[in-house]
Amino acid sequence: MSTVETRARPVVRTRRPVLVSFGRLLGSELGLTFRRPRNLAMLAVLGAVPVLIGVVLRIVTGDGAAGGPEAMLSMVAGNGLALTFASMFVLVPLLLPVTLAVVAGDSVAGEASLGTLRYLLTAPAGRTRLLAVKYANAVIFGFAVTSVVALTALVTGFLLFPAGPITLLSGSTVPLAEGLLRVLIMIGYVGVGMAALAAVALAFSTLTEVPIGAIAATVVLVVIAQVLGTIPQLSVLQPYLLTSWWGSFDGVLRDPVATGEMGEGLLAFGAYIVLFGSIAWARFGSRDVTS
Amino acid sequence: MQPQTRRGRAVRWGVPVAVVAVIGAAAGTGPVIAAVQGEPTLPERTAEQLLVEAAGTAKSGEMPPMSGTVVETASFGIPGLPQVTGESSSPLSLLSGSHEAKVWYGGDNRMRLALPGRMSETNLIVNGDQAWMYESEGNKATRIKLPADAAAQPQPPLPTAAVTPQEAAKQLLAMAAEHSTVSVTNNEQVAGRTVYQLVLAPKAAGSLVKEVRLALDGETYVPLRVQVYAKNAIEPAFEVGYSTVTFSPPAAENFTFTPPAGAKVEEITLGEAGPGKQEKEVKKEVAGMFDLVGKGWTTVAVVPFDLAKMTAGAERGEPAGAEQGERGGFDEPALAETVLKAAKQVNGSWGSGRLIETKLATALLTDDGRLLAGAVTPDVLFEAAGRK
Repeated sequence: MSTVETRARPVVRTRRPVLVSFGRLLGSELGLTFRRPRNLAMLAVLGAVPVLIGVVLRIVTGDGAAGGPEAMLSMVAGNGLALTFASMFVLVPLLLPVTLAVVAGDSVAGEASLGTLRYLLTAPAGRTRLLAVKYANAVIFGFAVTSVVALTALVTGFLLFPAGPITLLSGSTVPLAEGLLRVLIMIGYVGVGMAALAAVALAFSTLTEVPIGAIAATVVLVVIAQVLGTIPQLSVLQPYLLTSWWGSFDGVLRDPVATGEMGEGLLAFGAYIVLFGSIAWARFGSRDVTS
Repeated sequence: MQPQTRRGRAVRWGVPVAVVAVIGAAAGTGPVIAAVQGEPTLPERTAEQLLVEAAGTAKSGEMPPMSGTVVETASFGIPGLPQVTGESSSPLSLLSGSHEAKVWYGGDNRMRLALPGRMSETNLIVNGDQAWMYESEGNKATRIKLPADAAAQPQPPLPTAAVTPQEAAKQLLAMAAEHSTVSVTNNEQVAGRTVYQLVLAPKAAGSLVKEVRLALDGETYVPLRVQVYAKNAIEPAFEVGYSTVTFSPPAAENFTFTPPAGAKVEEITLGEAGPGKQEKEVKKEVAGMFDLVGKGWTTVAVVPFDLAKMTAGAERGEPAGAEQGERGGFDEPALAETVLKAAKQVNGSWGSGRLIETKLATALLTDDGRLLAGAVTPDVLFEAAGRK
C-alpha cells in the first residue's frame, strides 16, 4: 500500500507553521481519499442515481400520481431543476450517509488495521491535529459527494427536461438564477448534515481497529434513527435524531425559505459535531496505539 | 509518546461530558431561562377586563398584522385511532400527534396559511374576496369563490383553519360564563411574548376537564395559545398555540397567488354548491337530531344512534362513508369499528351499553339505540341515560 510512502514525507521535515503543515497533511489525506478506487466507485454510483432517475422519468412520463415523493418526481417532468431536489430527496435518507460512513468510519480504524497509525503518530503533528485532518477530509468528501449528485442532476435535468423558472412547493415561481441559488443553499445544508454524521463515524472509528466495525456501527445507527423517526409514539425523540433534520433541506423549496426550521437543523448538526468530535478527541488522545 | 496518566485520561473524557451537559442545558432550559427573564411586566387585570379586551379583538376582527408558526398538539387518548404522519392534512389527523402550520395575517382580509409536509405543502391564500388553495402534491390550484355576502367574513374551507388560536378562543369565550372558576396570571411566556393567561376551571365535579388556559398577548390581546387540561394529567390533552410570532406586517407577496405553469386549476364556489352548503345542511340536520342534557361543562349530548345500521354500512362500504373516507384519508366505517372494539361493555339501572373513554370525553352507546357523549365522567352519562 502506498499509504506509508506518501505519509513519510512530512516526517523528515522540521517543524513548520501549524497551518502549512495542516494543509500539507490534509492535502495528502485528500489525495489518498480521492484516488482510492473504492471512494471513486461510490462517487460514480451516487452520481449515476440522478441520471437513472432522469432517464426513467423521461421514458415513463408520469400521469400526475398523487403522494409526496411521486408528485415531486412528476414535478421534474416540467422543470429540469427539480431533478436536483428529487435526487437529493431519494439519496439523503440512506445512500449518501452510507458513503460518508465508509470514508469517515475508515479514517482512523483503517490506519490502525493497516498498522500505519503508529507511523502517522511519530510525525510531530500531534494527535489532535491528525484527528482534525481526518475529520476535515471526511467533511470535504461529504461536500464533494453532495455536489457531485447536485451537478449530475443539474446536467441530466437540463439535457432531458425543459429549463426555466421553477415552481416552489408554496406555489410561487422563482427565476432560474434564484433556483440555482437555492440548489447551492441545499448543498450547503445537506453537506453540514453529512459533516455531523462524519463526526459520529469518526468517533466510532477511534473506538476500534476494525474499520468495517466503525462503518457498520454508523450505518446501523442511521437505520435505527430512521426507524425510530417513523414511530409516531416516539415523536418526542424526533428533534434529537440526526436523521430527522436531514430531510429539512426541503425548506429551500418553500416561499419564504424555511430559515427557522433549517436554522434549528444546523444547530442540531452543530451539537452532533461538537459532541462526537469531543468524544473522538478524548478517545484518540488517551488511547494506547499498539498497531 | 508520553505515558497517559489516569488523571490526564479523566480530564480528556471530561470534555465530552461537559459538552453533553452544555447541550442538554441549552436544549432543556432554554424555555426556563426565557420564563425567568419574563418576570411580571404586565399591569394587573381582572378576568373581566381581559375577557372584554379579548372579545373586543375577536369581534371587531381588527387584528394587528402578524405572522408566525402555529403548533397543534393533541393526545386525547382515543382508543384504536390510527396514528397518522404529519404529512396528512386531513381533519382526523389533527386528533393525534403534533402538527405545524405557518400563518401570515396582513389585515384587510388578507391571510395565508401554509401546512408544510415532507417535500410538499398545502397553502390557503385569502386576499379580500379572492381565495386560492394550492396543493403541491399533484400541482393542484383551487380557486375558491366566495359569495358576495360571505366575502366580508370569509370562511376558510380548510378544517385546519378552525384551529387557529383566534377561532379556538372565540369558542372558548362562549363557554366562560357561570360554570367556571376564572383566574388570571400575568407572567407567562408564549412564543417569547409576555401574556395574560386566563384559567377557566369547571366547577362541576363530573367534568373531565381540569382547566382550560387561554393566553392573550400582553400588548395586542391577540390569543396566542389555548390549552385544555384533562383531570389527572400534567400535559395538556389539547394545545394549539404560536411557537413563534411577529407582530409586523408580512411581505405582500404572501397574499398574492398566480397558479404556476402546468398546474391543474379548479374552481369551486362556496355557499351554492360544494362543501360549504353541505356543511350548512349537515349542521341543520344535526341540530334537529340531538338533545342536550345538563348544563355548562357537564352537558351531555344524546343522539339516536343505530349501531346495526352503522356496522352494516361498514360491511357494504356505504357510499357516503366512502366519500368521507376519501376526503379524510380514512376508511371511516372501519375506523368506527376499531373504536367500537375498544369499547367497554357496561350496564346499570339505566340499561346496558358500550362505553368509550378518552382523556377528555366519554361516549356511551346504549343498547336501546342512543349515543350519549360529553366531556364528563361515565357516572354523569349513566345518570343522563337513566333520565330518558
